[in-house]
Amino acid sequence: MKRVDYHEPTTLEEAVQLMTRYPDTASFFAGGTDLLVELREQTRRADHVVNLKRIPDLGMLTFDPRAGVHCGALVTVRTLENAPFIRAHYAGLWQAARELASIPVRERATLAGNVCRASPSADTLPPLIADQAVAHVYGPAGRRDVTLEDFFLGPGRTVLSHEEVLTGFSIPAPEPGTGKSYIKHGRRKAMELATVGVAVTLTLDGDSVRDLRIVLGAVAPTPIRAPEAEQVLIGKRPEPALIEQAAEAAIAGSRPISDVRSSADYRRRMVGVQTRRALQQALEAAR
Amino acid sequence: MNASVIDTTAKGAVETEGRDGRGEDDGTIGRSVKRQDLLEKATGHAKFAGDIVLPGMLHGKIKRSDVAHARIRRIDTSKALALPGVKAVLTHENVPRVLHYGSPHPRSASVTRDQYIFDNKVRYWGEGIAAVAAISEEIAEEALDLIEVEYEELPAVFTLDEATAADAPQVHDRGPGGNQVIDPIRVSRGDVDSGFAEADLILEGEFEFGRPTACYMEPNICVSQWDGNDKLTMWSSTQTAFMVRGILAEVLGVPLNRVRVLVDHMGGGFGAKQDLFQHEFLCALLARETRRPVRMEFSRKETFLGGRSRHPGTMYLKQGFRRDGTITARQARITLNTGAYGSHGPGVTTVGTTALTSLYRCNNVDLEGRCIYTNTPIAGAFRGYGVVQVYYGLDIQLDEAAEALGMDPVELKLRNAVREGDLAPSGHPIIGHGLEDCLRRGAEEVNWGPVRQATRNQDGVYRRGWGVGCEMHGSSAYPGIKEQGNATVKMNEDGTVTLLTGAAGLGTGAHTALAQIVAEELGVAFEDVSVVHGDTDIVPWDIGAFASHTTFMVGRAAQQAAADIRQQLLAQAALRLERDAADLAVRRGRIVAVDGSGSSLSVREAVSPTPGIPAAHLIANGTYTPTKSYSFAAHFVEVEVDTETGQIRVLQVVPVHEFGKVIHPVAAAGQIEGGIQQGIGHTLSEDYVVDTSNGRSLNAGFVDYKMPLAMDMPPIRTIMLETAPDPGGPFGAKGIGEDPIIAIGPAIANAVYDAIGVRFHCYPITPERVINALAGTD
Repeated sequence: MKRVDYHEPTTLEEAVQLMTRYPDTASFFAGGTDLLVELREQTRRADHVVNLKRIPDLGMLTFDPRAGVHCGALVTVRTLENAPFIRAHYAGLWQAARELASIPVRERATLAGNVCRASPSADTLPPLIADQAVAHVYGPAGRRDVTLEDFFLGPGRTVLSHEEVLTGFSIPAPEPGTGKSYIKHGRRKAMELATVGVAVTLTLDGDSVRDLRIVLGAVAPTPIRAPEAEQVLIGKRPEPALIEQAAEAAIAGSRPISDVRSSADYRRRMVGVQTRRALQQALEAAR
Repeated sequence: MNASVIDTTAKGAVETEGRDGRGEDDGTIGRSVKRQDLLEKATGHAKFAGDIVLPGMLHGKIKRSDVAHARIRRIDTSKALALPGVKAVLTHENVPRVLHYGSPHPRSASVTRDQYIFDNKVRYWGEGIAAVAAISEEIAEEALDLIEVEYEELPAVFTLDEATAADAPQVHDRGPGGNQVIDPIRVSRGDVDSGFAEADLILEGEFEFGRPTACYMEPNICVSQWDGNDKLTMWSSTQTAFMVRGILAEVLGVPLNRVRVLVDHMGGGFGAKQDLFQHEFLCALLARETRRPVRMEFSRKETFLGGRSRHPGTMYLKQGFRRDGTITARQARITLNTGAYGSHGPGVTTVGTTALTSLYRCNNVDLEGRCIYTNTPIAGAFRGYGVVQVYYGLDIQLDEAAEALGMDPVELKLRNAVREGDLAPSGHPIIGHGLEDCLRRGAEEVNWGPVRQATRNQDGVYRRGWGVGCEMHGSSAYPGIKEQGNATVKMNEDGTVTLLTGAAGLGTGAHTALAQIVAEELGVAFEDVSVVHGDTDIVPWDIGAFASHTTFMVGRAAQQAAADIRQQLLAQAALRLERDAADLAVRRGRIVAVDGSGSSLSVREAVSPTPGIPAAHLIANGTYTPTKSYSFAAHFVEVEVDTETGQIRVLQVVPVHEFGKVIHPVAAAGQIEGGIQQGIGHTLSEDYVVDTSNGRSLNAGFVDYKMPLAMDMPPIRTIMLETAPDPGGPFGAKGIGEDPIIAIGPAIANAVYDAIGVRFHCYPITPERVINALAGTD
């Protein structure tokens, strides 16, 4: 690995100042599971690495039945996976967390890192969007909040400016009658990148669907909502034929590419199959 | 019937059936003794080539081409040499230009002389074209980018069709033309025309094989050092240390006693580490040029670009069957893609083609195998050596025939199973055959008839199927190479024993098996035998660890040396006991009279010095030049296919192997389980993909080359039979290294057919292929 200058700010202000001082050549460092590999393989250039781990309070993970989850930027994927309230109330995120890479990687990797890396196939992104998570950002101009749905611009690109720090997330508490799911479609069970990912957060009102968000991963430059598919079911009883119709609508809304992992055509088919299955799982959980 | 059963679901428990009432104390063979390298590996003390750190050591890196076929018009290293910390740069302009074999087996028909260390031509994307030695890996890497290369691009061929087309661009100027590495291999017995005329059923099929790679855990690595006497010492992760020594000496122009190759432990090789690689030459040359030690280690990506894969290719197979299932004729046309260099292509083509003479007996065969150059990465030796490909097709076609004839596939395979005395692929009559035993035992174990019946008429999303695949494989590379196994055994003056062997320790436990054989033959405890290996200056010459022959061939040599020591020991004891040596025997570390009369001596007492008598000096050599023996297997597999996603899950595997004598049950079962894991990967997911528009590797790394991991593995109930021991092997033992990877493929393909009624004539059977086939779009 090439030499880098290493910085350990202890406040957010200091971190932002460092990033401002090195406009092109600094990278934040939290878990390092992407950063260090990219530096070593020279797919990313950085002369300065700004470690966030000395900044207090970024490692908090809390849950309140009304306010929902607050997850600091340094919370690891493994911590999420092991938190009972994530498993109980954020089943999609929990499923995504436990299928991300491997246990050793999850012990270091942070949720914030997975989000900032903005890989189209990242596992935690679809369930975060489906759960209406909000990112808290700190920058030279102060604090701002961005919904995860508006956070991603393209592969590796987000709304964050170079100087801005993602400090954490809020994820609303689920309403009663809500079921969630995430299905990762890959080539093997662990250490895998999703060929297609589907997250569903669905709320029932009696027999019919009151609220529904379907988010697709790995079939567009960013994770995408499938609004046409959602509209097929919202306000209706989720009969099998409608679920099938929603799955078809999800296919129509996806824009996959062909690569060595899969052809675009196979990805489209899997969007259909896995959207249907994710809807069924979420529905079962909601009942 | 003697059988060891190892069930992974029962945490490796070993059941041994019918072992002639042998107790725990009765010898070492057949017991899963603690591996001889257990402690040093568990504590991290075992030395791998990558652990060698020498004072002043430099780091070498290889610059790889980014074009697939070109002449190097100009290569400018001045900027790289000017970079601080760079000590040497090598290109085709300043390395010895010696045409050499990819793998230096002596007197071998397996390999081709078609490589230079560096040529002024590039023949595939990723081929090494320059090397740098610098004080750090980072500086060496930086220097690679500073080397300027100007190419004159040449038209390239990436597929077999392109390479064999009329007027195709030629990858090499040598060979018989048409991008052939060698003249076609032709095997003909009987008369296929009359065989087909006799047939009631004729089946034809085209098969296509992907490009799996070995993915050994330890990337290729070597460290070189020249001493003040101009002698080279090289630590290298190689299966063939003496071959590396030989070709290095030849190319460097030094005698053999000035090259010492060391291999203590290895993190796998699977056959692919029996070539001599560019970096091994370059490491030695950079060390000579700089007068400093140099270390060169492949990145994982380089193990793809600069490593060796299995040969991709195609096969046309036609067979005739009588109504009763008897095979009347077999015709095959095999075409293997060896990539840019021949490597083991000729050997793989020969072994694969001749393998089709057997497994299922047939008197009329007409076989042709061709080995073709393309501008793609090099295919070479790899566990299964051509047999994986051809038996995949052969066994699937047997399954098809069974259905067409209305027979059970086990019944059809039993009817045609190779028998004792049949002509083996090597041209020798087979001594002992285990195939029938494997088939019968496996069918009984899985309750074959009823489980197959249970897979009829499924209509759910998830469908299950059972399949069976068979194989046989030779221990030793005879007749392709006339091999020789050597061993030296010494007895120390306290009665302990040292075995010297040149056989490499790939991680298979071979040294443990060899020590067990010596202990058994000598009548001493396994713990009293230690093994010295991996130093070409010390241990006896060895051809290398490959061809499933180490236990079979070196084991026999070790047994012979141990038998010699036993005679010497008894002679010593005879003096002290004042008896005739012929009346004595070694039992559990003691020298006793065969008839039980008189006093006895411990082994130690027989050889240790006593006042007036010096310690005995006992040393013996064993040399064994085998022909060939064959091991057999039938794999029974249950799969589940998700008909909506095309994903195939292997639910369970019952491998039944016959290999004469099980020396170490847990290690042998480990070979079988590992082969199955590798075979599942090759059959379902692993494929090293080359872009056929420009020759680029698309998945040279573990991000997109996917092997099955622990979580993907099904339970395996391994059954090991000893029904056909080979008189040439130690205690009847035959090889087990390659066998397990062969039968699993067709077993899976046949099980998939049983589940969903779709035939796959290709591997890997990816989910996408399944979905396309089910949708009828393939």
